[in-house]
Amino acid sequence: MTDLDMSPGDELLELAEKQAALGEVRGGPAADPVNIPMIRHWLDAMGDANRSYLDKGVSPPAMAQVWTMPGVRRGVKDRSPVDDVLAALDAAGYTGVVATNCEQTYHRPARVGERLSAATRFSGLIGPKRTALGEGYFATWNVTWYGEGDAPVAEMMFRVLKFRPRRKSGTPAASTAPYPLRPAQNRDTAFFWEGVRQGELRIQSCADCGRLRHPPGPVCPSCRSTSRSYVVARGEGTVFSYVVHHHPPVPGRETPFVVAVVELPEGVRIVGNVVDCPPDAVGIGMELRATYRAMDDEVILPMWAPRES
Amino acid sequence: MSGTRAAIAGIGATEFSKDSGRSELRLAAEAVFAALDDAGLDPSDVDGMVTFTQDTNQEIAVAREIGAGELTFFSRVEYGGGAACGTVAHAAMAVATGMARTVVCYRAFNERSGRRFGQPDARLGGQPTSQGLEMSWHVPFGLMTPAAWVAMFARRYMHVHGATSEDFGRVAVAMRRHAATNPAAWFYQRPITLEEHQASRWIVEPLRLFDCCQESDGAVALVVTSVERARDLRRSPAVVTAAAQGSAEGQMMMTSYYRDDMSGLPEMSVVGRRLWEMSGLKPRDVRTAILYDHFTPFVLAQLEELGFCGRGEAPGFVRDGGIELGGRLPVNPHGGQLGEAYIHGMNGIAEAVRQIRGTSANQVPGVEHVLVTAGTGVPTSGLILSAG
Amino acid sequence: MRTLTEDQIEIGAVLPELSIDLTPTVVVSTALATMDFTPVHHDVEGARAQGSKDIFLNILTTMGLVERYVTDWTGPEAIIRRINVKLGVPAYAGDRLDFNGTVVTQDGPDYTVEVRGKVSLGDHATATVTFTLPSDETA
Repeated sequence: MTDLDMSPGDELLELAEKQAALGEVRGGPAADPVNIPMIRHWLDAMGDANRSYLDKGVSPPAMAQVWTMPGVRRGVKDRSPVDDVLAALDAAGYTGVVATNCEQTYHRPARVGERLSAATRFSGLIGPKRTALGEGYFATWNVTWYGEGDAPVAEMMFRVLKFRPRRKSGTPAASTAPYPLRPAQNRDTAFFWEGVRQGELRIQSCADCGRLRHPPGPVCPSCRSTSRSYVVARGEGTVFSYVVHHHPPVPGRETPFVVAVVELPEGVRIVGNVVDCPPDAVGIGMELRATYRAMDDEVILPMWAPRES
Repeated sequence: MSGTRAAIAGIGATEFSKDSGRSELRLAAEAVFAALDDAGLDPSDVDGMVTFTQDTNQEIAVAREIGAGELTFFSRVEYGGGAACGTVAHAAMAVATGMARTVVCYRAFNERSGRRFGQPDARLGGQPTSQGLEMSWHVPFGLMTPAAWVAMFARRYMHVHGATSEDFGRVAVAMRRHAATNPAAWFYQRPITLEEHQASRWIVEPLRLFDCCQESDGAVALVVTSVERARDLRRSPAVVTAAAQGSAEGQMMMTSYYRDDMSGLPEMSVVGRRLWEMSGLKPRDVRTAILYDHFTPFVLAQLEELGFCGRGEAPGFVRDGGIELGGRLPVNPHGGQLGEAYIHGMNGIAEAVRQIRGTSANQVPGVEHVLVTAGTGVPTSGLILSAG
Repeated sequence: MRTLTEDQIEIGAVLPELSIDLTPTVVVSTALATMDFTPVHHDVEGARAQGSKDIFLNILTTMGLVERYVTDWTGPEAIIRRINVKLGVPAYAGDRLDFNGTVVTQDGPDYTVEVRGKVSLGDHATATVTFTLPSDETA
């Protein structure tokens, strides 16, 4: 049940679509070919003692973008399809910018003497999203670096958040703002949330027949007993199913975020967020460990992070 | 076939829009008037009323507006869109037991211009009622929209049966194709392609925008009375051959994640088994079905739970055009909620009646029995309506 | 300096930590070496005018430091195939950037290391770096 009608932000999204439709726009050749002085300077600044680049006459892979940087006096002729989108976002009040992702793949080393050129493709605009910094849009583009031929040397996916800066107020925000999605509790479920506050994942067990149960309840459906106890779960689990929430915005949350049904080795399932890993790294069967996150001064939620060996 | 001895004798609706400009009570009254006119009955004939627990218009308020007199039966059906066919089931029971003679079932809302069910509501998990506590295992984690709740099942269905986003997309494409030739549909003359589906943005992965039904303002009303009386009224009756409600073991509202393999809809299986038992019919006796389609993946699961195909076979069934007009089982000839309007499943029951009468904009030939289902992912209900 | 061989790399192995004091010189010299002349990386007043508390590391440098952190450990002959960085809090001049890393997967010839670069405000960069070792003939 989601709206199919136009909203004010659709203009931005339309422009983004138009720019994306331009496809890959190739820039001019770099001002300088790959060269030893710039490599030496870069290694020096990075504190990188690796001599092999200079010995072999190749560029360090992470230097790929450096070769096509525009320099101090950026010309207007090399505008990429990204610029119009960012300008439109500025004009719409989303003046803040923060980069969120930079993913580079290196196909082959760039050799000294080669003059690289960069091709830019605008690949998408997502928003508006409520973020910790303010409402904003995520803009993503892809850059491919070519040598003299048509085979790519390296490529990059780059994503920024363009946000509408919040007005400065007297008190620092976020940390003290009450988390809006508070769990209801009663005498049947309080033990679980008390456990979470102590960093424990408590699973209700029947004090008579021993059956484990989650979510908990007042009566054992197996033996009618109302004598309840709990076991503390090991805090491990695997993803049984999961979703990546993009839209609409959820109060107290930044999108996208992952929610999973987690299967515990104890034999019950529980729902929670998967954190500390990008959404596209989550899959059914992924191994997780429990972690506990304070959402405000009072609410702590059990969550799940990738299990590290 | 003994049936329930009740029939739907009249159907009525407002226009379907994004902003009705009227109160929900006014919409309810307009739809009820239309249904009574269709049946050739007068408001003074109405002695029973049924609606959804979620409806904001009390039965007595609608009764006052339409000028009905005394009521001897009133009832509400729970669980969101799962109530739709349940309203007719309750009405049929009232008619069969003699509690009432003429029962009006209605659903009216400004779901697009007023309170939108697709928007997060932080109060969902706030109260320590049984439902608030149930929601509290999910809402604090931001799992709080219908699309998100359904997406969790959809991901598991994909994993277990190898289904893809395109399989879901084919449902949306079929519904929009049907709506394109139904003048009452919001998406009349606006079909979409599978490519457009695939290009539509993520709402909650693995659901895209076009996997989610639209939001609508509008109202639908149905008049239920005895089969004998219905035969004497203006329109040919749609006999309630079978009616059932269904809840399965470990049932929850949209979040039954703690049972079985999560790739099916056991509560719809409960409904389906009862419908086939009561009617003595088999899936092959049904020419067209109205399957609740607030989200595309559950249309696939319903085809399996109701026995129209085997488990895991629905993607293939749909890929072969099986649910389209002219296919093995045309589903939602009116375009469903994806294409016509989201009136919580009540507009689907009205379409089933038109198919029985032979008056649908997209009439399926040779219809004698229509199976109708209500909301999925929730405790639900279903009907088999027959000519007679 | 030697390059690691296959039998020297174990899944779960922890890379030696690396701490880098982010002096203004480091921030400015790396910005210039990466040809990034945006004022927030060299002009304190300009950075403050934009709401930052000081100048901060540019992204091209973060990529370079992550690469360096991994090749410091693998040795010079390892070939970096991919660096995916999720950017977090800014790394301001005056702070210290602490890297730690763990070998997480091997997929055929590809090894993946998870790298975390922390500053006093939290994670500045969370990265995965994929590399291959030189084939036996050249090792």
